[in-house]
Amino acid sequence: MRLKIIRVVIAGLFLIVTLDLFYVQVIRGRYYFNLSRNNRIRVIPLEGWRGRIRDRNGKILVDNRLAYNLMITPQEIQDQEALFRFLSGVLNADREQIIRIYRKKKSAPFTPVAVAEDIPLAQAILIEENKYRFPSMFIQESFKRAYPLENNSAHVLGYVGKISRAQKERFQEYGYSPQSMIGYSGVEEYYDAYLRGEEGGLQVEVDSLGRQVRLLSLKEPTKGQDITLTVDSTLQEMALGLLEGKRGAIVVMDMNNGEILGMTSSPAFAPSFFVERVYQEQISRLFSDPAAPLMNRAIHGAFPPGSVFKVSLAVGALDTKKVAPEMIFNCQGFYALKNARFRCVHVHGAQNFIEAIAHSCNVYFYNVGLILGPETMSRYARIFGLGEPTHIDLPYEEAGLVPSPRHRLLARGTRWYSGDTLNFAIGQGDISATPLQLVRMMATVARDGVEVQPHVIKTIGHLPFNEYFFLRSIKIEKSIFQTVKKGLRAAVTDFSGTAHVLDLKDIEVAGKTGTAQTSASGDKKSHAWFVGYAKGEKKHVAVGIFLEHGGSSYNATLIARELLLGMQRENIL
Amino acid sequence: MRRDLAQKIWIYTAAIIVIGLVALYSASYQNLRVPQKIFYDQLLCALFGLIIMYFLGKVDYRKFYDVAYIFYALNIFLLIWVLAGGRHALGARRWIEIGGFSFQPSELTKLCLILVLGRYFSHRRHIILLDFIGKLQVIAREILIPLFLTGMLMLLIFKQPDLGTALLLLGMFWIILFASGLKYRYVFGFLGICLLAAPFGWHILKPYQKDRLLVFLNPNIDPLGAGYTIIQSKIAIGSGQIFGKGWLAGTQNQLNFLPERHTDFIFSVIGEEWGLGGALLLVWCYFQLINCGLTIAEQVKDKFGVLVTIGIVGILTLQVVINIGMVVGLFPIVGLTLPFVSYGRTSFLIFVIMMGFLLNLSKRRTIF
Repeated sequence: MRLKIIRVVIAGLFLIVTLDLFYVQVIRGRYYFNLSRNNRIRVIPLEGWRGRIRDRNGKILVDNRLAYNLMITPQEIQDQEALFRFLSGVLNADREQIIRIYRKKKSAPFTPVAVAEDIPLAQAILIEENKYRFPSMFIQESFKRAYPLENNSAHVLGYVGKISRAQKERFQEYGYSPQSMIGYSGVEEYYDAYLRGEEGGLQVEVDSLGRQVRLLSLKEPTKGQDITLTVDSTLQEMALGLLEGKRGAIVVMDMNNGEILGMTSSPAFAPSFFVERVYQEQISRLFSDPAAPLMNRAIHGAFPPGSVFKVSLAVGALDTKKVAPEMIFNCQGFYALKNARFRCVHVHGAQNFIEAIAHSCNVYFYNVGLILGPETMSRYARIFGLGEPTHIDLPYEEAGLVPSPRHRLLARGTRWYSGDTLNFAIGQGDISATPLQLVRMMATVARDGVEVQPHVIKTIGHLPFNEYFFLRSIKIEKSIFQTVKKGLRAAVTDFSGTAHVLDLKDIEVAGKTGTAQTSASGDKKSHAWFVGYAKGEKKHVAVGIFLEHGGSSYNATLIARELLLGMQRENIL
Repeated sequence: MRRDLAQKIWIYTAAIIVIGLVALYSASYQNLRVPQKIFYDQLLCALFGLIIMYFLGKVDYRKFYDVAYIFYALNIFLLIWVLAGGRHALGARRWIEIGGFSFQPSELTKLCLILVLGRYFSHRRHIILLDFIGKLQVIAREILIPLFLTGMLMLLIFKQPDLGTALLLLGMFWIILFASGLKYRYVFGFLGICLLAAPFGWHILKPYQKDRLLVFLNPNIDPLGAGYTIIQSKIAIGSGQIFGKGWLAGTQNQLNFLPERHTDFIFSVIGEEWGLGGALLLVWCYFQLINCGLTIAEQVKDKFGVLVTIGIVGILTLQVVINIGMVVGLFPIVGLTLPFVSYGRTSFLIFVIMMGFLLNLSKRRTIF
């Protein structure tokens, strides 16, 4: 009887064992099989060499340099005390600090921990020399971005950093790994696909200690392509100096082909902050600074254009044939609309079309604006590309805004009043544009209605990149542009012109100033603008100076003068 | 019929030994951690063991009845010797060196306990009084005295420390108690008391033993520490799936992810390289062998023979089930070997001797 019980119990036990084997090996088999595969195969990413960036004259703006990182393999530590004592001596750092970093980063016993990144060469050599004493440590080489010209062209260049979680998910199929460096803003982001070397990797089979048993495959990292930009670092340096201590932007574009010779925004930042570990604190300061140093004001900021807008309006007035160049309006210093007075800067008296442009007479353009009406003004603004991005090859470009009664109704649900038309006519109110948009508008006018595509890329690798050399023609009679240009030129050549300081020898300058009020009460200074074109011996360029809360437009014309003289001196113009 | 049973025992024992040798060859193949030497060691041991088994089949098992207590005394002596001057390995003293051979007395203890308890319980003791005093007499004679005999061995083994074997002895004691025909109320009463006392036993455990028990409850507590073994072992067995990865091709095994894979965890090597098929074949062989033992137990007429057979069947079952259960994560890691398969000369020889007993019993089962 008892033997029977024993027999049943034993059979039961064996049944349990069998069923469990079935469960582990068949039902969960695939799961464990994958685990066993992951157990033994590890991929060690090898970072590629990121392409360098040069300016138009071949001067290096962004370079790579070797950095040495101190790594420790936790599993191979023999005498932890002695090791950290040695390291604190070599690195000149607090032992507790090193241990803290090590503990924080440690994940698995076989995964090396980067205890110190980017250490000086002398320390790296000392560590390599003592490797026989502490086999757990080794020096890993990596590449870091270097900026020989510091914050020159910073906004055009952008910066690099570790890939973010969101980007990682988006770019995973393009071969980005969690350790990948990726460009943020500027050329580094826009041309990231060309700049980044393709990441390579070692696929190794490891044993239980994480030691390499054999190499399964090696994919060599490939070098990224070097890029040459259209910007001129000398010009950029000059622009940076001129904007020192101010908020604003300078844009210089070759009006023949749309090459951006200069694009500087101030305050600027040093892209190296994002590379060097010691500047961690500064990075957060960059992001929180009210002066927004990371913002490229030339394309990321849309501001009211002020009187610069009158250029588009003037072309529209002649093209619709509603205003003839000979038409005269009398300026008494203000325009009375019902009970309100819309002011002009001076009492200009009788002004014809060209004089009105040269003197930037508001009253004249109030009248023109009322004749054309807001819809027509919007249409001409759009013809010149306002209200939509220029599609320059830099990321996050602002579109600006061109208002119209319909837009007003849709966006705010309120009516459009005649006063809005008057404001619109002098580039105030809802209208906003980026400095780059206005520079391109001026170039289009200067070329009698031929629009270029602004761009910063010159060559990728060894091949010139000509994709952006296309032109768009605006179907407006040439004579109209010539009339408007007379006015723009008169602004410089007339003694009473708004930009008379720019009447330079050997350079034919023309342009339009602008002083855009930023608040109704006037407690903040106006934005100062000068947008124009200059024909030198070598190049014909469109120039835009924008000073955020820079006061009178006169300040902008002074900077333009310095800039143009400087360009002449440096043989750029 | 009689010849049949002996033949079966030979066949299944040999089959298990061959499977074990094949697995051991793979576990030690081109490896620095587990030297190939152990395979040849075991091979030699197997040949020697089979010869012993053959001769034991010829010796009348009742001779062992006479020497059981002497054997017991010798065993106690050896266990004390281990504690006093045994070889240290893996944090425990389990081996003694005799003439260049290392020897593990705790393995011998298993055999010894079977013989001693078999002899003790085979005496028919007459209980005259059936009142309270009588009951106390039963408890004293049928439980306390044999428990004391077992307890001595357990204590000495626990001190090594070897919790697994110590508990195994207690299990065997209970099985033989069950088979001895003692009334159920005593048998299960004793089991109940043991279970109730278990929580108090927690406090006498060494920290690593506590760790193992906790890790058994949740292997992910410390995947790179104490839980490492159990996780890697489960991965090895599971990844074998139905057909296995092939001989010498188990990555968990060949790349050293499996610790102790030539001793306690040899079954995960089989599971990984031969899959469910190989694992079940081995389990089936054990089951058949145990069935042979039970058939013998049914037919043997003297009580000593029955109890020894049950003891052998019991220990075989316990070790197989616990060892396999341990590598697939059903039981905590207690360090019990897989009979005939795990590397270990003493363990191997003891089991071969037990099979010799079975062989002998199968021939003499109708004597009385």
